[in-house]
Amino acid sequence: MTWWGIVIAAGAGTFLIRYLPLLYGTRLARGEGRLSRFLGALGLAAIAALIVLSMSDLWWQAPHWRGGVRLGLGAMAVLLVQRLTPNVGLATLVGAGVYGAAGWVLAD
Amino acid sequence: MSLEGAISTPWRSAGQGLRASLSLVVGYAPIAFSFGVIAVQSGLTPWQAVGISLLVFAGASQFVMVAMMAAGSSGLVVLSAVLMMNLRHLFYGPALATRLVALPRRLAPWLAFGLTDEVFATAMAKGTSRPLEPAWCLGLASGAYLAWVGGTALGASVGAGWASEGGYVAQALGFVLPALFLALLAQAWRRARWPVVAVAAGATLLGMMWWPGHVALLVGMLAGALVGSRRSRTECSQEATT
Repeated sequence: MTWWGIVIAAGAGTFLIRYLPLLYGTRLARGEGRLSRFLGALGLAAIAALIVLSMSDLWWQAPHWRGGVRLGLGAMAVLLVQRLTPNVGLATLVGAGVYGAAGWVLAD
Repeated sequence: MSLEGAISTPWRSAGQGLRASLSLVVGYAPIAFSFGVIAVQSGLTPWQAVGISLLVFAGASQFVMVAMMAAGSSGLVVLSAVLMMNLRHLFYGPALATRLVALPRRLAPWLAFGLTDEVFATAMAKGTSRPLEPAWCLGLASGAYLAWVGGTALGASVGAGWASEGGYVAQALGFVLPALFLALLAQAWRRARWPVVAVAAGATLLGMMWWPGHVALLVGMLAGALVGSRRSRTECSQEATT
């Protein structure tokens, strides 16, 4: 298999993994059944799982109390801004800014 | 509704989706930049790096793909690894469909192509408060895709010199994706759904002790959604009215 062949096959395979269930799973998702409730809860479950995965990636880059404090301050800033102004973009930027600033303040 | 209004509505929705993608753009650009840098450092040309982002558009699996190619793995092994990592996306389409006002067949391929973890999470968080317009989702995915491809191009062409500098700005950018997911969780939060969040988070954390991140992510998602599926119809309707 050539280099471009691998890339095209990976792109086509990833696309089909996303496309076929969207096309043929839509009828299953409608209605009031258990499957519908499962799919309805999947979004929130995915967000929670992604938070854990991305936060633990950052934690293991510097597993130290300073790293924990930075993560906590950044997370609190996000939740505070999101509470005050329901603006996801602003909350994200302020959280990242607080995380970066905390790294500078807490540096050795 | 006037004819002009009916025609402009999908475009307006797409524009709103594009604006909503700003937080994704901020999160994607530095990661895509890193991908471009790493791809070139692994021996790919800038065009090959951009080609992967253009055709695959699946963050973590692209990093794995480049690393395995650089290590000389066979094509079938690389392909299997990429597809295994992306299997979790099987569930995203039907879940998104529950939140769409309609799914026009001609838009389905474009919606599916852009259905990354972050696009899915952003759409589902928005979809808890009101049904989603397909054009809005398309605008959201377009912004994310442009940021991903643009960030890769920038990283592959000029990034090698910047890669070693790091600094607090780079560290702050590293927190963008966790911050985005937290803000999305706060937006989608309903008190009655705390068991879904707690089980998904707990299962992911436990799963990471034994399995690679993408497997733990899949296990956490499915465990949380299973808890959500056990709720009674009455609980769901009570939640909808709060």
